[in-house]
Amino acid sequence: MAKHLGDRGRRVLVLEAGTRTLDTWPGHLDAMNTYYAALAKVPNSPYRANAAAPSPDVLDLQGLPEGGYRATGYFLQNGALPYASDYQRATGGTALHWMGLVPRMHPDDFTVRSAYGYGRDWPLGYADLEPHYRVAEHALGAAGDAAEQSDAIGLPFPPGYDYPMRRIPRSHLDHLLATRLDGTTIRETPDAPETTLRVVTTPHARNSTPNPHYDGGRGYRPAGAAGLPNYGERCVGNASCTPICPVQAKYTPLKTQATWSRRVTLVTHAVVSRVLADRNGRVLGVEYQRYDDPAAPGHTTATAEADIVVLAAHAIENARLLLVSGLANSSDQVGRNLLDHPMLLTWGLLDRPTGPFRGPGSTSGFEGFRTGPARRARAPFRIEIGNWGWSWSAGSPGSDVARLLGIPGDTGAPRPPGVFGTRLRETLGRDVGRQFSLQFALEQDAESRNRVTVDPAHRDRLGNPRPVLTYDLSDHVKRGMVAAKAVSDHLFRLLGADDRTAYAPGPFAPGWFRFDDRDYVFQGAGHAGGTHVMGDAPATSVVDPWQRCWDHPNLYAVGCGSMPSMGTANPSLTMAALALRSCEQIDRDLRELRRPAVVRLPEGQP
Amino acid sequence: MDSQQTAPQPEAADDPAECAGFVDVSVRLTGFDAFELRATGMVRAYHDTTLEQVGRPAVGRFLEDLAAAGGDPEGLTDEVSRDIARAITHLWYLGVWPPLARSTHAALGREKPNTAFVVSPEAYVEGLAWRTFHGHPPGAKPPGFGTWSDPPPAAPARPAEGPA
Repeated sequence: MAKHLGDRGRRVLVLEAGTRTLDTWPGHLDAMNTYYAALAKVPNSPYRANAAAPSPDVLDLQGLPEGGYRATGYFLQNGALPYASDYQRATGGTALHWMGLVPRMHPDDFTVRSAYGYGRDWPLGYADLEPHYRVAEHALGAAGDAAEQSDAIGLPFPPGYDYPMRRIPRSHLDHLLATRLDGTTIRETPDAPETTLRVVTTPHARNSTPNPHYDGGRGYRPAGAAGLPNYGERCVGNASCTPICPVQAKYTPLKTQATWSRRVTLVTHAVVSRVLADRNGRVLGVEYQRYDDPAAPGHTTATAEADIVVLAAHAIENARLLLVSGLANSSDQVGRNLLDHPMLLTWGLLDRPTGPFRGPGSTSGFEGFRTGPARRARAPFRIEIGNWGWSWSAGSPGSDVARLLGIPGDTGAPRPPGVFGTRLRETLGRDVGRQFSLQFALEQDAESRNRVTVDPAHRDRLGNPRPVLTYDLSDHVKRGMVAAKAVSDHLFRLLGADDRTAYAPGPFAPGWFRFDDRDYVFQGAGHAGGTHVMGDAPATSVVDPWQRCWDHPNLYAVGCGSMPSMGTANPSLTMAALALRSCEQIDRDLRELRRPAVVRLPEGQP
Repeated sequence: MDSQQTAPQPEAADDPAECAGFVDVSVRLTGFDAFELRATGMVRAYHDTTLEQVGRPAVGRFLEDLAAAGGDPEGLTDEVSRDIARAITHLWYLGVWPPLARSTHAALGREKPNTAFVVSPEAYVEGLAWRTFHGHPPGAKPPGFGTWSDPPPAAPARPAEGPA
């Protein structure tokens, strides 16, 4: 948005709560070393903690031996289940560690309430967003195959459109699964309709081979690394997209930031603590806290005035800021409808090498469960084929090495003898080399009970109230997981795979629960949304279809927090499309504000 | 000219016999040969880490026990020596010093926390575990655009796919 508005001659002040060490190449290399040296290579592991602008971390959650969880760190959690995703407060934000997948939402995803009887409808449809999807695919640098997306998923594209870059090559595992499963039909329950299996390549915001036919034959030049010119113009298969792409072939907002016009001013180390408004609801600006060194206490408070204020701080931070400011909440919906994509992982061994831990984390998926009449009864899901073995599901290969050597997690437990030497090398190679996993991303229905609140008794170092999260999964989502597991069972059987999926409570399973007498463990996807929900009426929603707060004509809250549903698509592309669409309205608002006054003559005079 | 003054002084790291005993033991523990182990550049760091973590006397006993077992780590019967074997192997495979068994930790009277740590950023990058299945450590040694499409070495050829 800053780029878009700056390029149109608007003056933009960007206040960033975190630091900006990552937009230099030395800062990036420092993050690489931090990542290499991290014991747990979780999404936030490359990025330095900042006590002045704290971030949640997935390591803040610990499962208890009999089920349940304990939450430490930035979030306070009091829900039946934990909200299991993190984010990052620094220039570049959470998209520093995103996977970089950019599927579009399905047209059916915008009307889940009216068509399927759950969650909330959007006040917009796919057709309203479609042109902005194309602009976003250009801005993020998307690699995909529009014909395949249209044919396999039913996504409408304008005639002749294709992505800026050719689709990211499929992994060896994708090929193995396609060979064995494409065209096969399965039923998730005996009386359910048939679904035809098809491995479909996923669009990525990752540099691939440019498409010479793009943009009417003008082609596309991949955007390289921020801070190192002419570098990173192709993905080279580092296989660490999350948490960090070493060559920056994956899109991050730092690339856009590097192209900001001089009208855009970035101020870092600036934590916005309050949005200021007058009695009529007009927003005047923001109050923010400046600090020097993240490690040193002390800050000063300053104020920035603006014609229009845009909150773009992450779904949970946007909601927190509105709640702390006491604004935009006449609907009582601020902070509610907290969404994620609850993930169910399944994992096993194929009868031959899968080539694990190579290439992007997921290059293809099964798209046939994303919509259809079954949505009435259970949450839909998208199935990602996981290229990185059991790294997410079981901590491989570190856990395999420890198991083979006889090193249990509990130092007090008796140790099995272990294997060494050639036997260790061969066993590990044979076992890990055949690993694969499936990642089921479930749509979560918007529920007002899932929410962000603030508690003045719990503050961070700068005195800002920390987010309090209340989170649970609906039975609709849980029934989706039952169906996902049933589909997984079918797929593993068809593949002749050795299914090693196991769900049990324990320290690494804070997302454990029982449903219909079976155990499940879900993970967070890092896809927070819903917390300043968009709608068509001020009484029931926080922002209008332009992401403008109903209660404040010059206050925008943008990002996934505006989404009433996220379907089963990774939401960043839709978020970008929405933001680009909002720029049009902001541009109109500013033009209106700056229009010369019209002097009218009193009526009746010549 | 005094040749003694102009000749470069050999540094310890260039000495092929550096930590020869440690490399010899490591070959038996890991199943990788001396050339592969030395090529990681991690020999000195792992040798020093081991001594630092368990102390010279325990390493001495471990070497004696291993010799008594005919050089086969799987023949180690002493639980402390076996745990040291596990730790050194874990170090080589992942670049991570692991937690020792609580009993080992107590028996050695260690005055340091019994927690895992990555020896250095390079240690992670040089982990041997990835090589056992022809992979590479995530975030390092990238094999190149599109390489993930090909079967890994030693995998059977793929049958042709239908149109997809």
